[in-house]
Amino acid sequence: MSSQLILPLLILGIFIYSLTKKVDIYASFIRGVKDGLGLFIDIYPSLLAMSFAIALLKESGLLIFISDLLTHGLPMIPSEVIPMCLFRSFSGSTTLVILVDIFQTSGVDSFAGIMASIIEGSTDTTFYVISLYFSYVKIKDISNSLWIGLFADLIGIICAILLTYTFFS
Amino acid sequence: MNKIWSSIIVVSLLYALCNQKMEAINASVLSVAEDTFMFVVPLLLLTAFWNGILYIANDTGLMKKMEHLLHPLLKKLLPDIKHDHQTLAYVAGNVVANMFGLGSAATPMGLKAMEGMQANNKNKNKASRSMVTFLVLNTAGVTIIPTTIIALRHNAMSVDPMGFVGCAIIATTCASVAGLLLDRIVNYRE
Repeated sequence: MSSQLILPLLILGIFIYSLTKKVDIYASFIRGVKDGLGLFIDIYPSLLAMSFAIALLKESGLLIFISDLLTHGLPMIPSEVIPMCLFRSFSGSTTLVILVDIFQTSGVDSFAGIMASIIEGSTDTTFYVISLYFSYVKIKDISNSLWIGLFADLIGIICAILLTYTFFS
Repeated sequence: MNKIWSSIIVVSLLYALCNQKMEAINASVLSVAEDTFMFVVPLLLLTAFWNGILYIANDTGLMKKMEHLLHPLLKKLLPDIKHDHQTLAYVAGNVVANMFGLGSAATPMGLKAMEGMQANNKNKNKASRSMVTFLVLNTAGVTIIPTTIIALRHNAMSVDPMGFVGCAIIATTCASVAGLLLDRIVNYRE
C-alpha cells in the first residue's frame, strides 16, 4: 500500500479508457508535450526575477534575521519554512524557489522538507489568482474575495503544519 | 508585485552593505541566471510529459466525464449561474485541471468562466457572488496530484517523492471547505 501506485494506475486508467475511443492519442501526447515545452518562455523570466530577489534576501542575511524573529513567536514551525508561509499567498515563483532551497539545504525528506511540500500543495497563490481573474473582466470592486482567499490560505497552512506533526514526526 | 519585488532587492542590498556580505552577493548575482535555468529545465520536462498525458485525457473525452460528475455540486455552489451551462462547464474544466496540478491548462478555462459570470453580472464593476465563490475555490486550489512538487521532490532525490500527497490533499480540502464556508456565511445571508 503506497503512493507509488498512484501514477501508474492513473496512466493505466487513462490509456484503457482511450482504447475504447477512436482517437489518435499518440498525436494528442505529442501535441501536449509540445505545448508544455512552450511554457519555458512564460515561466523562466518570472522565476528568474524572483530567484534574484530571494537570492539577495538570503545572501544578505536579511531572511535569516526575519525568520529568527518569527521563530521566537512560532516555535512549532521550523525556521526554514517560515519564509514559505509568508510568501505563499503573494508569489508562486517565490515559494517555489524557497521550496527548492529547503530541499537543497535541509534535505527533501527532512521534517522541514516535507512540511514545506505539504504547505506548497495546500493552497494556490491567492494574490496572483485574484488579480489575474478580476483584471481580465475589468472588475474593480473585488468584494471580500481577497480576505476569504487569505483566510483559506491560513487554514491550509495550519492544517499542513498539524498534519506534518501527526504523520511525519 | 513591482513594488514588493523592487523593495526586496533594495532593502536586501542595503542590509548586505551594512553587514559586509558583498562577496556572497557577488557570487549569487553571477550564478542566479544559470541556477534558475538548471532548476526550471527538469521541472519543465516533467510538466511537458504530464501535459502530454493530459491532452490524451482531454481528447478522449475523459476530462468531460469528470466535469459532468462535478456539475451537480457546482450548481449548488454557484446558484447565480446555474442556468448558464456553458459557464458552468468552464468552471468545471478549471476545477478539474487544477485538481491535476495543471495551472497552465486551468487558467484559460478560468478566464472563460469569469467572462461568462461577468455576462450574468448585474453590476459590471463589482464582483458577483458567483465570482467570489469561484475565486475562493481557485485560490484554495484543490489539487489531487501536485505535479510540480512531485517533480521537484523527484529531482531532489527524495526516497518517497509522493509521500506528502495524502497530507497535501487533506490540507487543501480543509482550506477550500473553510473558504467556502466563510463565503457562505458572509455573502449568502439573505
